[in-house]
Amino acid sequence: MEAAGRTVLVRPDHDLFTRGNQVTASDPVAARADDVWKVYGSGEAEVIALRGVSVTFQRGVFTAIMGPSGSGKSTLMHCLAGLDSVTRGEVHIGETRVTGLGDAGLTKLRRDKVGFIFQQFNLLPTLSAKENILLPLSIAGRKPDDAWFDTVIKTVALQDRLGHRPAQLSGGQQQRVACARALVARPEVIFADEPTGNLDSKSGADVLGFLRDSVKTYGQTIVMVTHDPVAASYADRVIFLADGAVVDELHSPTPDMVLDRMKKLDAPAEVTR
Amino acid sequence: MFRSMLRGLLTHKLRLALSALAVILGTMFMSGAFVAGDTFAQGFTALFSTVNRDIDVEVTAQDTTPGGQNAQLGTPTALLDQQDVDTVQKVDGVAKVTPGVYSAGARLIGTDGKVVGGNGPPQQGIAWQNDDPLIQLRQGRPPQAANEIAINQGLSTDSGFGLGQTADVITLEPPTPYTIVGIFGFPGDRPSLAGETTVAFTLPQAQRVLLNAPGKFTSLDVTAAAGVSNDTLRDRIAAALPDDVVRTGAQVAQEQQSATSSFVNILKTGLVVFALIGMFTGAFLIFNTFSMLVAQRTRELALYRSFGASRGQVNRSVLLESVLLGLAASIVGLGLGILVGYILNKALQSFIDASLPVSGVVVRAYAVLTTLAVGTAFTVVAALIPALRASRVPPIAAMRDAVTPDKPLTRLTIAGAVILAGGGLLLGLGVAHVGDLPTWLTLGIGAALCFLGVALLAPIISRPLTTAAGKAFAWSVPGRLGARNTGRNPRRTAVTAAALMIGVALATGAGVFAQSAKAGISNAFERDVNAQLAVTTSFSQGPGANAGFPPELEQTMAALPGVSAAVALRTDTVNLNGSDRFVLAGDAQAASTIFNLKQVAGNVRELNPGEMLVDQDTADALHLGVGNQVTMRTARATPVTLDVVGIFKPNQAISSSLISSADAGGFRSPFAQQGFVQVANDSQVPQVRAELDRLFANNPEVTVNDQSQLIDQANNFVDILLGIVNTLLALTIIVAVLGVVNTLLLSVFERTRELGLIRAVGMSRAQVGRMITVESVLISVFGALLGIVIGVGLGVAIVAALGDEFLSLTVPWGYLLITLALAIVAGAIAAVLPAIRAARLNVLQAIAYE
Repeated sequence: MEAAGRTVLVRPDHDLFTRGNQVTASDPVAARADDVWKVYGSGEAEVIALRGVSVTFQRGVFTAIMGPSGSGKSTLMHCLAGLDSVTRGEVHIGETRVTGLGDAGLTKLRRDKVGFIFQQFNLLPTLSAKENILLPLSIAGRKPDDAWFDTVIKTVALQDRLGHRPAQLSGGQQQRVACARALVARPEVIFADEPTGNLDSKSGADVLGFLRDSVKTYGQTIVMVTHDPVAASYADRVIFLADGAVVDELHSPTPDMVLDRMKKLDAPAEVTR
Repeated sequence: MFRSMLRGLLTHKLRLALSALAVILGTMFMSGAFVAGDTFAQGFTALFSTVNRDIDVEVTAQDTTPGGQNAQLGTPTALLDQQDVDTVQKVDGVAKVTPGVYSAGARLIGTDGKVVGGNGPPQQGIAWQNDDPLIQLRQGRPPQAANEIAINQGLSTDSGFGLGQTADVITLEPPTPYTIVGIFGFPGDRPSLAGETTVAFTLPQAQRVLLNAPGKFTSLDVTAAAGVSNDTLRDRIAAALPDDVVRTGAQVAQEQQSATSSFVNILKTGLVVFALIGMFTGAFLIFNTFSMLVAQRTRELALYRSFGASRGQVNRSVLLESVLLGLAASIVGLGLGILVGYILNKALQSFIDASLPVSGVVVRAYAVLTTLAVGTAFTVVAALIPALRASRVPPIAAMRDAVTPDKPLTRLTIAGAVILAGGGLLLGLGVAHVGDLPTWLTLGIGAALCFLGVALLAPIISRPLTTAAGKAFAWSVPGRLGARNTGRNPRRTAVTAAALMIGVALATGAGVFAQSAKAGISNAFERDVNAQLAVTTSFSQGPGANAGFPPELEQTMAALPGVSAAVALRTDTVNLNGSDRFVLAGDAQAASTIFNLKQVAGNVRELNPGEMLVDQDTADALHLGVGNQVTMRTARATPVTLDVVGIFKPNQAISSSLISSADAGGFRSPFAQQGFVQVANDSQVPQVRAELDRLFANNPEVTVNDQSQLIDQANNFVDILLGIVNTLLALTIIVAVLGVVNTLLLSVFERTRELGLIRAVGMSRAQVGRMITVESVLISVFGALLGIVIGVGLGVAIVAALGDEFLSLTVPWGYLLITLALAIVAGAIAAVLPAIRAARLNVLQAIAYE
């Protein structure tokens, strides 16, 4: 990030405000990016999406990544999750070095260490809610922990919707199914990409509340990309990205604080939201 | 507007290519059939015009013998003599008369002890003519002594015999050694005219060993004097020889050609029928592709509608697309078809061991036009329904949500049930031979309706089956997902499977028929042939073909130790009371024992000269009873009167009347063609067989078989036919498998986001591949099961309709299992490309895909 010649307000490595109740002394880091560069295209068409991002995500922390459109927040998340390769630098999930893994390694990583929640819910229409929730475990050939499954289902309030197909569920219910699916495998880290983007505010609040609870109560690590200050305010920590670099960070944010920071970021560019 | 839509069409290149491939394959096969048939026919035309090129007028004797025109057996009987030659010689305008001797009965024995050319084209014998323009001496000299022959270049090459060597030749005489003194060829540097073999004897020897008629000829070739036209000369000769057949060389060529063209036409029609079945199957593929293309483009089409494009405009655009696709694919298919025709023509020629004098291919205008028209028409008709459906969607609904809800299947199911019932009814009528239409047509339409009905019912049938499959695969996540995906779009699954159903049903129907035929043959042998050993003669082709063995061997066989009954059967077409009939001659007593002849009236017993046994069918047809007299006219002897002493029930072995050997002197062939030997004690069979082998050791055209060998030979023939049918149906199956590939590719495309998701939650590439494979195999197995059920039904209907005693309804379970196994393999193969596509998807892009 120094190479980018930007002012660094906070060094995430030195973050002292780590919270959460299940941080283990031996390895408090759930995911980490070290000097990550992402360049698309070459020559005149070259676009630098990430310019040497270094960031660490502690266990049991709910982190939101914010930034204007084109700031590289989604790219960062994709690189962290192993969905996209980095041009330079390294990404780790837990003990695993993601950078350089082949397809088989990435598949194993996604299967065992990572959970996803997408904006478009992305449920399989042929499977019932319960089957969708258990899909990652079935693919991995792992037996679900019944007690944990019940807990998760109770938390997302889907007890009487388990036999339904996605088409028979509302958007909020579908996203709760997606949350349950991510959580039931107890991954090292859950990546959520605009999880409330397609939901009305009430359903969005439900989902966000549930995500926050899973962090607080069960020590789940969540990294969420959003451009909604209200959604970001549910997080423990907010990282701001602009032009492919981390430019700011907030802890225990409120929507107003987030909005305030965003306005500053947007100031030089066009106002996005 | 059309240009922009065309651009949309071109963006789906792979799908387009697959649909086009179906049309290409169909049109390729069709034009291939046309081209091969026409080239083949052209070859015959060239052959016959070459053969008759130098003949101005040909004279042959009128064949007035019973069935003489079609006799393919025995020695030529319609002969001319020196007096006829003299008569023609005196006709005004005749420059020269060349009398000829021809018979298809001179078989040269190769170094391997077998007849060179075997069951192939005619093995002909001729009398050497010094100035025959067709025959060109290449080496040595013409035959001058009775034991000298000249052979054609092809025969020399095939047999390995050259100038100065001695070879055995079978004629009306048993194998006799001749010295080869000359080797000849044909105009155009050809070793033979069309793959036949020719042995040229001196004229007297040819008359003796080919015709058994010294001083006689089979034809006179007449050369016209300068200034006399062939037609004029023909008329003059005809006036001089009113009882003979006088034709110009051109007429002869024309007649020979029309005799083969009916054979070529049957061949061509058969191939075209298979091509049409392939196209019919391809129509399902095109229908599916256009449905899916249009479904995906509903939003795009709706956009055009919202810009103010009328429904008609949208319809016309989609139709024009299909015309272009159909036409383009048909043109490619035609091009490939010409190549296929070339190869097919070569294959046909080698199949009949002929080498016809034509190079290149014959492409006629009708072949080009028909192929293009049919290919385009199939494409357009298949694309019509999806096009109409697309334009019916209200613009706003389509733009809001591209996914149209799945319509209920009720109407489809009712329509399917009605059509299926109609088809079943027609099959039933066909079986019962009710109605005015010919049975094959009733059965054909019934079958087509059944296909259509089941295709419409397939969506509803697919549901419980895919559910069951899902349960069967519950242990594996990719399997379960694959099974669920199969049940997702019942219509699409059904159409894809229905395409496969057609080929499988036809193959299954053919299998049931073949198996029934085989069972019928074995039953007939077991029931009606009480002989452990049989003596069979190889088939030779052409008038004058004379394979067989001396009928006197009947007594020799009967006298062998251990033999309880033996019969040697001679066959010929004779005239009984004015009606041409096939009759058998041999020991009636032995025949009655061996073939279980059931006596209906009179006495089925040993026949004295002048007596005959009549089968019930002939008796009914000719109104004969025991004690009646029958006038029998044969080819070579004066008519005789025979007393009917008994009437028997015909069976599979014997279905024509029997006379005594003594009355068969007038048959065309002096030989017996078949022998059956009953051995008293099974343990003595090997010993008797050894004796028989010794008896026929010097006759390479006679084989001794036991009953199982006979049955095997008959079954082998059925298997070859089945093999040919299945090879031709392979086209249909290939098109159907392409359909499966197509459907899966589209599904992969449509489910890109889902595939991204399951990859994101940890599914490996191999698991994705397995999921696609399960879907593919399930569709294939579904199609195969439908096909097998219909095919068994069709087979049963055909067997029942024919009701022939040679058919004994049998379902070939092993064959069906193999079919099912092949469907699984085909499904797995069809999955390869789509699975690779699915596994290679970039996870991130897939999830973001809209």
